[in-house]
Amino acid sequence: MGDCHYLYGNYMTIKRMTFLQEILKFMGLDGRLHLDWISSAEAQKFVQVVTDFTEKIKSLGPSPLSGELDLTIVEKECEASVEAESVEGG
Amino acid sequence: MDYKIIPSICSYCGCGCGVLFQVFEGRLAGTLPMKTHPVNHGKLCIKGWNLHEHVISDKRLKSPMVKKDGQLQEASWDEAIETSAERLQAIIKDHGPDSVGVLVSAKITNEENYLAQKFARAVVGTNNVDHCARL
Amino acid sequence: MEEQIKEWPEPFSTTGDKTSTFDNLRDQVNAWLKEGKVDIFLGYKMVQGHPLPHCFTKENPDEADELIVGKARYSLEKMAANIAAERPEIKIGLLVRDCNQRALNVLYVWNQLNPDKVETININCCPSSLKEHGDCSYLEPQQSGSYKKQVGIDNNMDVEVAEEFSQEERFHRWMYEFEKCIKCYGCRNICPVCFCQECSLEHTDLIATGSVPPEVPIFHLVRAVHMAGRCIDCGLCEDACPVDIPLRLLYRKVNQVVSDMFDYKTGMRADQSPFNILGDEVTLEPKPI
Repeated sequence: MGDCHYLYGNYMTIKRMTFLQEILKFMGLDGRLHLDWISSAEAQKFVQVVTDFTEKIKSLGPSPLSGELDLTIVEKECEASVEAESVEGG
Repeated sequence: MDYKIIPSICSYCGCGCGVLFQVFEGRLAGTLPMKTHPVNHGKLCIKGWNLHEHVISDKRLKSPMVKKDGQLQEASWDEAIETSAERLQAIIKDHGPDSVGVLVSAKITNEENYLAQKFARAVVGTNNVDHCARL
Repeated sequence: MEEQIKEWPEPFSTTGDKTSTFDNLRDQVNAWLKEGKVDIFLGYKMVQGHPLPHCFTKENPDEADELIVGKARYSLEKMAANIAAERPEIKIGLLVRDCNQRALNVLYVWNQLNPDKVETININCCPSSLKEHGDCSYLEPQQSGSYKKQVGIDNNMDVEVAEEFSQEERFHRWMYEFEKCIKCYGCRNICPVCFCQECSLEHTDLIATGSVPPEVPIFHLVRAVHMAGRCIDCGLCEDACPVDIPLRLLYRKVNQVVSDMFDYKTGMRADQSPFNILGDEVTLEPKPI
């Protein structure tokens, strides 16, 4: 922090990125946006961060934005919760 | 300073959404949905939202046009009606009545629409009549 | 305490019944127009049985007798900003509810209106027998249909409740809402604080054209991000949405993050530069991968 060539650049960036991460999380796309501070002298760190993040993206699987929207997932969860409620009630 | 809000009805489809025109010093400046209108309750589609644009558009048709020498030119109503009657007669004679189609509008009255279909069926002799509100 | 009462706008200065309250308000507008405190006054008037926004002018001040305060809630401040853009010298008076006032503050901050040229009469939105409150979705929530409740997001939901769904469910529910979009641009057109000459939503490199729904969720997220530091939670976007996308909820989350992150309460002050929201006291750290 504060090492930025543009003085306040990374102060602004981290707020903006956190803002974006929060909004994406709110609508269900968590973890696909990452910010890290890497100076031009930190080649090792750069490699590490890119490798780690690539691994993470791979483990998350294909983007849910690709392909058709399948609402049965929501419907199933709803049915499950309704059933759970009726079991509790009964 | 002259700024008016004028209630009107959207002229696009058969729904008839309520709109408000913003008129700034005699110039139509914008369209707003009417919130209390029973048809649209303050909602509009993209065509309704841009209603003012076709009123002030340079491309708006303000008089009948007849194509002469490959160019559309302004003409009198008599000339325009005569030309269309002649051409329609010629086309019906050469290619039969089903080579003509009549497209009507959701924004004219029921009676006018009735007349238009009567014209298509009785005068031209075709069932090719359609209408933008036949959704 | 005394000072506080003195600042109360005259029309609702505690005494009198409903009629005198409105007469006070009309007299005040009439007087303002006559004495030249304002050149025009934006309020509401009954036209053809509809309460519609109306511009009262100094040429015809007695028309102020027809001024009404009903449920009608239009963005008078956006009209004021449009008028000011063409005729900056004009002094504009307007009726403001709480949301209108917040929007005015944002427009002052972004130099779309000059506070010296604007006079306001406050009509608060507190439900009261004295006068009707606005047709705000907080005060008069619309019922959501059962399918929308099942697979989508109920417009009346709280941010916290919307966050309780699992990540996957949340995504599907929001995508169900976004995919209904017919790209009417109503949310942008009605928005009192949307005044950009060029809009990102019309930028063909950002948002592909030629298909409906528009590119989801980019279309809606671009707008959501641009609402940071702008949205004053008036809910007009949601009212104007033909397919009932819970935009007010989405932008409420945006406001929440802006408030937490930048300590900026949008529309609460008229003097704070939007550039202040960048601040310099940052305690955040990048999140671990």
